[in-house]
Amino acid sequence: NIDPESLLPKLPDPNELRPFPSICTAMFKGHDGRIRSLNIDPQGRYLATGGDDGTVRVWELQTGKQLRRLRLSSSEAVNQVSWQPSRETCIIAACCGENVQFIIPQGDICNPQQDRRSREVLDSGFGYATSNPSKTAAGVDKPSSANWLRPSTTLQDKGVLLTLTLRSTPKTLAWHRRGDYFSTVSPSTAATSTAVAIHTLSKHQTQHPFRRLKGLAQTVCFHPSKPLFFVATRQRVRVYDLQQQRLEKELQPGAQWISDISLHPLGSNLLVSSYDKRLLWHDLDLAATPYKTLRYHSKAIRSVKFHPSLPLFVDGSDDGTLQVFHGNVMGDSLENATVVPLKVLRGHKVVKNLGVLDVEWHPREAWCALSGYM
Amino acid sequence: MAATTDARPERTAQVRIHLTTRSDDIQLPETGPILVPTELRRYQLSTLVNRLLETTQPVPLEFLINGQFLRTSLDEFLTQNGISAETTVNVEYVRALIPPLHVASYEHDDWVSSVDVLSNTAKAIRMQESKRKALYAPRILSGSYDGMLRIWNESSEVVATGTAHTSAVKAAKFLTPTVVVSAGIDRTVRIWKHDYAETGYEKGSLAPTLELYGHKSSIENLAVHTRTSRILSASSDHTIGLWSNRKNDLPAAAESLLPIANKRRKLSNAQQCPQRGPLSLLQGHQSQVSDVCFDEKDDTVAYSSSWDHTVKTWDLTTSACVDTRTTSQSLFSICHLSDAGLLATGTSARHISLIDPRASATTISAMTLRGHTNAVVSLAEDPRSPHQLVSSSHDGTCRVWDLRSVKQGSGTERTGESVYVIERNSAKGRTKRPEAGDGVKVFGVCWDSTVGIVSGGEDKMVQINKGGE
Ligand SMILES: [Mg+2]
Repeated sequence: NIDPESLLPKLPDPNELRPFPSICTAMFKGHDGRIRSLNIDPQGRYLATGGDDGTVRVWELQTGKQLRRLRLSSSEAVNQVSWQPSRETCIIAACCGENVQFIIPQGDICNPQQDRRSREVLDSGFGYATSNPSKTAAGVDKPSSANWLRPSTTLQDKGVLLTLTLRSTPKTLAWHRRGDYFSTVSPSTAATSTAVAIHTLSKHQTQHPFRRLKGLAQTVCFHPSKPLFFVATRQRVRVYDLQQQRLEKELQPGAQWISDISLHPLGSNLLVSSYDKRLLWHDLDLAATPYKTLRYHSKAIRSVKFHPSLPLFVDGSDDGTLQVFHGNVMGDSLENATVVPLKVLRGHKVVKNLGVLDVEWHPREAWCALSGYM
Repeated sequence: MAATTDARPERTAQVRIHLTTRSDDIQLPETGPILVPTELRRYQLSTLVNRLLETTQPVPLEFLINGQFLRTSLDEFLTQNGISAETTVNVEYVRALIPPLHVASYEHDDWVSSVDVLSNTAKAIRMQESKRKALYAPRILSGSYDGMLRIWNESSEVVATGTAHTSAVKAAKFLTPTVVVSAGIDRTVRIWKHDYAETGYEKGSLAPTLELYGHKSSIENLAVHTRTSRILSASSDHTIGLWSNRKNDLPAAAESLLPIANKRRKLSNAQQCPQRGPLSLLQGHQSQVSDVCFDEKDDTVAYSSSWDHTVKTWDLTTSACVDTRTTSQSLFSICHLSDAGLLATGTSARHISLIDPRASATTISAMTLRGHTNAVVSLAEDPRSPHQLVSSSHDGTCRVWDLRSVKQGSGTERTGESVYVIERNSAKGRTKRPEAGDGVKVFGVCWDSTVGIVSGGEDKMVQINKGGE
């Protein structure tokens, strides 16, 4: 492990690494209690949030104006919200209780073309399920651990057009770049073999790719261009090739309890955040151990994110701060990445030992959004 | 006052100045150059000129040397600008701007996104082709996140409301005294007929007459040109719509863009309103278009600002982008300063850049106006001074700027400071502005000679400020 302080003198001046976020420009007020998840739409105009109050909200990103509020539950929290990564549709997947709800936000947030396309996408699986009743494409028996249903008409009127019910509460949802596959992680499930699921939206299909998973699954992500799938358990990150159905690589970040992972948009570097205050940078072409260990927080780090297009990353911690870094990954794998700490942003007040719960980047700009207690 | 530094010579340094003004009513009798101490500042010079004018009521004055306001002592100014104290310095004096004081606030049910003014001095009346010159009582138009348009008289009364938008209104303007244009998150540009009583105290009406479809996403701002009946819309779908308020000029609306009929929502009212498409869609921006304006002198030219960091110049006769200026931040607002020949653009980086759109210009930014502490989202030119403009920001203030008020920066960049900061009256008594402009963001501003500076924002207020004469 390298002490980052010892690297500081050789690093470029942060002022030469602009743009990066430096001030708070808008607050999004309305949620009651913790906001557990937030996500910016692929066009960079709207912010979706979900939290303890069981609501999903859509906000105008620039002004902080709440445009829509949708109550999914009166008793259960919304654990994650995530826009489907397509510009032709306008769909939010929201994990609430044991359900994943697929929402087309109403109120002029999507245009008629997007609305029609989104409905087609959410409907197509019903047709597929009818014509292929008992078997999945692979010929395997369809697991009964997942149910794809049409919600009640009351919910449909509010824009909830598809419900996926799992046996155990999904805490994480990760989309594949194309927006047809997505994966959920239900860490509290009794059977570890069903903790990780990969779903096909167009076929309403659910598969559990791992019969035996060593360790408790925390979070997952898809590679941007290769058929690789990253699974983080408490202490390990494993990389699987979904086509070959084999384990490609096992990373040993050396963390006691991993909280989040973020894969660089080029797919060659992975950030791992941990509840034991460490942020770990893995170069996937190098060793199984981290290329860099960053210790900048006094409390657990809950979330980490690479910027989708700029050389930036950010993490959010229970100490109530965000740390913004410059992280330049060379396209040429022979050159190592440079990491420069840029700015500490004061985030939310620390309430009940919880500070910043989630962080997200704007798809193009050096703007990040964070959530915590309201 | 002489004993502060030992290095100073005992005898006060002096400089020969020649005082001139362009205002006839405060002209000095031709006296020739006068000798004054170089330590004089604006205030002492103002006292001196008032004494020479033998005014009964002192007229506060500002002083300009080489087109720049004197903000320091004469001595410091001459040193900073490399002017020799041996020569005769031409000093122009102008009436000082009176601080724009709070006149009134009109309360709304939701955030106010945009404002416009109809008065005898407003363009919607001045640029009309018919020479009818009735003395209209001023009206104030506001667009709100509650989806409504409101027209107010100067007694804080709503004299007309317009409800047709299905979600937040983001822009509203008078095209003529009888035609209002609005747009918003529902992607439509709507044309309204404004019937009004000339006294301003009787109820009028706003009736939708046209629904214009062409945008695939929220419309953020509008520009109108009264003489040519042209309307421009800046949309977050990356395009700019060019429209007319005349139904027969416009093509049919694309079927795919019309709202999907919903049984539960009554469309009976809206369906009576004819639907049309754009004259043209201007394409070229790579991200949301935030604002658009016509060239003040050439109605075939328009300018737009975008989140893609660029300002584009458009030829409206061919719908072609003829020039692109790239800055280093997202741009949220634009306004053409006709006499200065510059474009002012408000940025996400909290400043205003002044851009010279002429092809011959070599630098991207002619000047930078600094002082706001959050995004600058709306700009308006002073209708009476070619040097002044007002900006509104998410920091909860409007600021008045004078291009002659230059702060000498460290580098080559010319930096301007605001001459007045207009706070929200709703936040009166607060010692500190809230972080991130929370609760006080100002979304729209308009400057009219008769009514004053009108602004609207997150405090659900339209606020009017006016400087005295
Ligand atoms: Mg997240």
